[in-house]
Amino acid sequence: MSEAPQLTYAEVDRTVLDTLRPPSGGYWLVIMVLILGVLVGAACWGYQIFIGLGAGGQNIPVAWGTYLINFVFWVGIAHSGTLISAILYLFRAGWRNPIARAAETMTVFAVSIAGLFPFIHLGRIWVVYYMLPYPNQRYLWPNFQSPLVFDVVAISTYLTVSSLFWYTGLLPDLAAVRDRATGLRRKIFTILSLGWTGKHEQWRHYTRGYLFFAALATPLVVSVHSVVSWDFALSAVPGWHSTIFAPYFVAGAIHSGLAMVLTLMIPLRKIFHYERIVTMKILEAVAKTIIFTGLIVGYAYGIEYFLAWYSNNIVEQEAFRWRALGDYSIEFWIMVVCNSIVPLLFFFKRIRTSIAWLFSISILINLGMWYERFVIIIGSVAHDFIPHAWGLYWPSGIEWGIMLGSFSLFFLLFLLFAKHLPSISMTEMKETLDHGGGHGD
Amino acid sequence: MEGAMATDISVMGLFPDEQRTASTIEAMAGYPWKIDQVHTPFPSHKISAALKLKKSPVGWFTLVGGILGFVTGFSLAIYTAVEWKLIVWGKPVIAWIPFVIVGFEFTILFSVFANVLGLVVLGGLPDYQGLKRYDPRCSAEHFGILATCAAGEKEKVIEFFENQGGEARVFD
Repeated sequence: MSEAPQLTYAEVDRTVLDTLRPPSGGYWLVIMVLILGVLVGAACWGYQIFIGLGAGGQNIPVAWGTYLINFVFWVGIAHSGTLISAILYLFRAGWRNPIARAAETMTVFAVSIAGLFPFIHLGRIWVVYYMLPYPNQRYLWPNFQSPLVFDVVAISTYLTVSSLFWYTGLLPDLAAVRDRATGLRRKIFTILSLGWTGKHEQWRHYTRGYLFFAALATPLVVSVHSVVSWDFALSAVPGWHSTIFAPYFVAGAIHSGLAMVLTLMIPLRKIFHYERIVTMKILEAVAKTIIFTGLIVGYAYGIEYFLAWYSNNIVEQEAFRWRALGDYSIEFWIMVVCNSIVPLLFFFKRIRTSIAWLFSISILINLGMWYERFVIIIGSVAHDFIPHAWGLYWPSGIEWGIMLGSFSLFFLLFLLFAKHLPSISMTEMKETLDHGGGHGD
Repeated sequence: MEGAMATDISVMGLFPDEQRTASTIEAMAGYPWKIDQVHTPFPSHKISAALKLKKSPVGWFTLVGGILGFVTGFSLAIYTAVEWKLIVWGKPVIAWIPFVIVGFEFTILFSVFANVLGLVVLGGLPDYQGLKRYDPRCSAEHFGILATCAAGEKEKVIEFFENQGGEARVFD
């Protein structure tokens, strides 16, 4: 990071704290539009609760539809937050520091939204507590051998851990905001910062605890998307029943999450004048990591075809032939091009150092990763073993409405965060200026 | 401020950089004043070394949490399976391999809970009283050494901090 040392501690504080000033009318206008999107989603969900699950486009054989697509998509988005905040922290990659806070926040919001989709898909939401392991007169317990129950355990653990990790990381910065605030705002931040004063005893335990957080979050993030992949891989459906699903899903999740980091950070950098903190070198480092994850994802697409051919299983071969040439071939080719070919453009320095290219490619990867979930979740059950059981699916208006609501909610939460809490870790930036690393380097 | 006498007072030396703070801490070793706290805007190895701080024991909390989580996760899965002895997918009622996932997730969850607990308990959080003898610049660009001394030594401490290139602030 050649540009970073020019900053001083005071400049870091000023740049970040300036973003917490009262927002303009434009900000509130965007907030209102997003609230409208959330209300559309909520109304669609309400309508579905009233009418029943038939309000969605799901059918037999495609029983999952966009609710599971969006669930997997949002869990995937969440993954790069932990990659950046925990895995890159353990690897002492100093370039993660300016984007770690935004990525961690993205993780918390994305997992929360992902967690909504199983509820949305439940139909009878009021009996959701049946999923909890509690003593009851029916002697019924969740089946802990089921991948769906694995999911409940893994996602709720992930949400809890990532929220605690995020809040712990925020503590010193909440204190910094408190120290420059007045009136009610000061009182709120005093409570939120737990009276943090950055004394040596606090840092001694904090840095050690943070290291353990990172060390625990790293295997957790790998386990969570592996568990999500087993929702599919543990069933005997062609196109799903594959041992490569866990690493394939983890790589795909990080791929989509990194793209979302670019999608969020590029406008944030421009609006909040973060150019000296989130330098082009950092965006370039994200782009280079995207090349890596894109290659893994492309390899997984290829190896799936190899396995179908090599297995000599006609059902598997037909499933993959139909995937590329059948009714959902457009979605398949969007997936292939956006996820594994477009990211290769980042091999060119001119492209990975251009804001317009970085932003456009990040959007295309987000799109491609959504379609990847579409191809896997819809395509496999739509065209499995027996021709008379085949069937097509397309989302209903209610499903599109709920999807609009989920995206609106994500961006709404992120915008509220960006204007009310420090979106860049001032503490870690100061450490970067001094040592080039993160806590405890 | 353990063992402080009623007549003791606190003086904070504020320094603009980490190196000068660390050398001031080392220089204070020859004086009778007690270093109560050192406030920094970020964790500093130089200052930890100057204070000769030991490694935090927070990892023991994490370890105990992890063991509890491991036992809880497996116990929950086994107990519920035994309560409703249903053969699923031809696997035994107590199917160890799928239960590893439940055991693993609970291990991580409880480790993290215990880690946070350790951090809060050992770090003395929440600590709203600590704000009374604290300078807000210490969360920005200053490093503060809070020293305790007898009331009669106050001027000497102030002079010492100023000679080290810092600024002194007295907390009565």
